[in-house]
Amino acid sequence: MGTAISNMLGAGEGNESEHSGVTKLSSSAQWQLHFNGMKDSNQLLVIDFSASWCGPCKSFEPAVRHMAVKFTDVSFVKVDVDELPEVAKEFDVTAMPTFVLMKNGKEVDRIVGAKQDELENKVTKHRGGQ
Amino acid sequence: MAVSGFEGFEKRLELRFFHDNSTPNKNPMGLRLIDFESLDQVLTQVQCTVVSAVANRSFDAYVLSESSLFVYPTKIIIKTCGTTQLLKSIRPFIHLARTLNLTLRACRYSRGSFIFPNSQPFPYTSFEDEVVIVEDSLPKESLRHRKASVMTPSNNTSRAWHVFTASADVEPDESVVVVEVCMTELDRVNARSFFRRKGDEKNSDSAGKEMTRLSGIDMINENAFICDFAFDPCGYSMNGVDGDRYSTIHVTPEDGFSYASFECGLSLYDDGRGDIAEVLSRAIDVFRPSCVSIATTYGGEDYDREVTKRVERVLAKKLGLKCRSRLMDEFPGSGTVVFQSFTPRRR
Repeated sequence: MGTAISNMLGAGEGNESEHSGVTKLSSSAQWQLHFNGMKDSNQLLVIDFSASWCGPCKSFEPAVRHMAVKFTDVSFVKVDVDELPEVAKEFDVTAMPTFVLMKNGKEVDRIVGAKQDELENKVTKHRGGQ
Repeated sequence: MAVSGFEGFEKRLELRFFHDNSTPNKNPMGLRLIDFESLDQVLTQVQCTVVSAVANRSFDAYVLSESSLFVYPTKIIIKTCGTTQLLKSIRPFIHLARTLNLTLRACRYSRGSFIFPNSQPFPYTSFEDEVVIVEDSLPKESLRHRKASVMTPSNNTSRAWHVFTASADVEPDESVVVVEVCMTELDRVNARSFFRRKGDEKNSDSAGKEMTRLSGIDMINENAFICDFAFDPCGYSMNGVDGDRYSTIHVTPEDGFSYASFECGLSLYDDGRGDIAEVLSRAIDVFRPSCVSIATTYGGEDYDREVTKRVERVLAKKLGLKCRSRLMDEFPGSGTVVFQSFTPRRR
């Protein structure tokens, strides 16, 4: 019963210097720069909203990093809801982790919760079609 | 009734801790700061694993391969079914809390009666053995007020409610009321919703979402965000997250040993989230079972006979379920526990 994915979750790859494709945006300026830069792009942007105290977010980090490495044509960014509360509010984030998928400055999909299959399916679905 | 099948009835453990007042910058996140690797190691000892998870500002909610885990700043609730070794988690959780300067305040272990009691490993073959193991796992000389009790309805001795509590205080420290509903002999048509459809090309997450919608589980509390999961070839679990309130549903749909549980923490009085009788009625209506038990733990709330009677009235009127027994007992640190059993009015 159940899918044993906990070898993907929390597998102790805790080397922080190796963000492997997930860019952390820690300030309003960094956020504006990255977001505005993607507005006119067909590239899929995945925004990972999380918090330092959110256990499920931490359990899911390795899976997200893995996906960022796998899908090199997708831009993965991470936003901490305490560091950038106004961005979290703008995207109506109430539960975490929340993944917002954007293309051409518009939201195309969203996943709430640490749902590996769902996230992978949706990234695969939206990344193409340039 | 099958000779042997999956055991739906869960074992439930709740650990509550004192707030850490020792350090000047005490972190309000408490237990939520336990790193995931450590949590995962505890779950491995219990023989389960995380399949889905979500969090909000108030707590972390994990769907496990065998039920659920909730982590609040000063409270852990873990509920596991099947033949899991739940009590092995007590010592490691207490240890992890201590590394965060949190001291154990109360422990509560509860369960119904197993459908397949002979399939359980030691110590779960006897409640007395379980109590010995729980007490052995608690720090010596801690939690002075202790009580173990089995609440057995006279009309159905095979469906009892087992409770052990140990508490530093006599009076409960929390006012959240916990309601645990156990349902067996689910309506076969309703239970079919919880089987994966052949060739549906969905993953466990989206199949779970579909089950939530088709079964009407999303209507039980429309305010709650639901984190759901569908097992293969059948079975379903969900955690509901609504502010600081949790809810959780687990379904074993197979005929012969079908089972569903609904549990939530709530406030007794209508605060815009739907009163307890309505919520329970909606939850039970999803499954239309032939046998229901409801264990209500009042915590710091005063026992209100009107609430118990209203639940019985609503279930009788809306679902044709007649209350066959009502038992009450008091537990240190947990307050009043009421255990009701229901079966359909006419067979």
